[in-house]
Amino acid sequence: MKAYTTKIEAATGKVIVADDMILTKEIPTSAGSKMLEGYVSLFEAEVLTRLAAAGYTLGGKADVGEFAIDLVGETSYRGALVVDGKLANATAQILEAGEAAAAVGLDVNGSVRRAAAQSGLISVKPTYGTVSRYGVIPVACSGETVSVTAPTVAECRDVLDAIAGHDDKDGTSHPETLCAKLKKGAEYAPVRRVALLKSMTEGIDADVKAAIDAACEGLKKNGVEVSVIDDSIIAASRVAWNILMSAELCNNVSRYDGVKYGYRAESFSGIDELYTNSRTEAFGELLKTAIIFGSETLSTENYMKVYDKALRTRRVISEAFAALFESYDAILMPACSTMAYTEAALKENKYLSYTENFYTAPASITGLPAVVFGGVQLVGAAFSENALMSVAEIMEKEGR
Amino acid sequence: MERDTLRRLEMLNQLSLTEAQKEDVISFFADREAELVTLEAIDTSETERMVHVMPIMTVVREDVVMQPFAREDLQRSAPETDEGYWCVPRVVE
Repeated sequence: MKAYTTKIEAATGKVIVADDMILTKEIPTSAGSKMLEGYVSLFEAEVLTRLAAAGYTLGGKADVGEFAIDLVGETSYRGALVVDGKLANATAQILEAGEAAAAVGLDVNGSVRRAAAQSGLISVKPTYGTVSRYGVIPVACSGETVSVTAPTVAECRDVLDAIAGHDDKDGTSHPETLCAKLKKGAEYAPVRRVALLKSMTEGIDADVKAAIDAACEGLKKNGVEVSVIDDSIIAASRVAWNILMSAELCNNVSRYDGVKYGYRAESFSGIDELYTNSRTEAFGELLKTAIIFGSETLSTENYMKVYDKALRTRRVISEAFAALFESYDAILMPACSTMAYTEAALKENKYLSYTENFYTAPASITGLPAVVFGGVQLVGAAFSENALMSVAEIMEKEGR
Repeated sequence: MERDTLRRLEMLNQLSLTEAQKEDVISFFADREAELVTLEAIDTSETERMVHVMPIMTVVREDVVMQPFAREDLQRSAPETDEGYWCVPRVVE
């Protein structure tokens, strides 16, 4: 199956798949980039060490889009995965084929959540800092999280239980007392009141609208109060996240220069050409654009107007969420505008991932947890994963 | 986005774009610039920057003697090495 970058045929038992942003010692990790083709890490990601300790066996690596900033993985240097004319996600393909119980992957710009929503899978993006990012290829460090995707809520819960916890090797890791809130059996306040963000339901297609309607109906049937609210602040998340993500990405990928590891151009006349030719030949178009945009936001001329403004806006957005969580237990929103992306749509707008993240940026920029089920996502307050997953489980039982 | 600015950014980031890519990037910048009004409409004059989404504490680790990575392992994925050195074109003429 093309979805794998490496498949471990001998894997048996509780098989887990990791996306190609997560470092493995025995098999290559490419981040979907020609720059890292064939690269083998010297150490393993903490999440995989923890999963092995919990009895999971690595079944292979799933392909990802270059540095995981695209829609669903279509910018991998290996080429887009297209199924029935639609852009497909490698992890989702593997899970749908029943070849793994669950998957872990890096949610940088929402690709994990979009893929889960479009494939009818469950995905949990945990609270920032509750799952170690040690051994994960860094892209947008201030918001990216290792997320779990599985066909069932129970599988997601088991995997999250195995990987959540403090890690001394990750400077952004929460203390164990906070991480313990995600563990199975931890007490949580059930979801009673949900807000549906009106601004997020205006540009969606009929299939996504149907998924939102079904979720609302299911919630109400189970005694959850659903209110439609308008909030222009949260809707600004995308613009601010695009700036922060690109700026951090620009810094993080500056290490790839064709010298210490990774791709090196065959032709160059000096050290500057070695750097430039290696990066130019190895990086894809979306990544190059993101690097240049990120670099410009950090320039002397734009730093205060753009980058600093985005950082301050992040606080305003976080405070807006905090205010909402005084009245509501969770916020319902789509994870994508459509249930399928096509090559034609991408050809028309090759930067679709910079607009489609309208739905995923709120949880990314604030580090809040989000659970995808039935094609929609529910965003909660920090450490509310158990409450969010309990809602997903109720919907799952009802076949929604 | 001026052409000169783009050229400076290419050099700064050690990238070289084709003419078609330059057009795409200029168009991308125009879209992003247009979106800035969304942020400008938000009053942040009294708001502190939020670099970290959660409180970050300085990690203090015990001093533990560990085996560092072996040089040959570190150079396993290097494009070109020679007797333990990373090879690059001559830098000083």
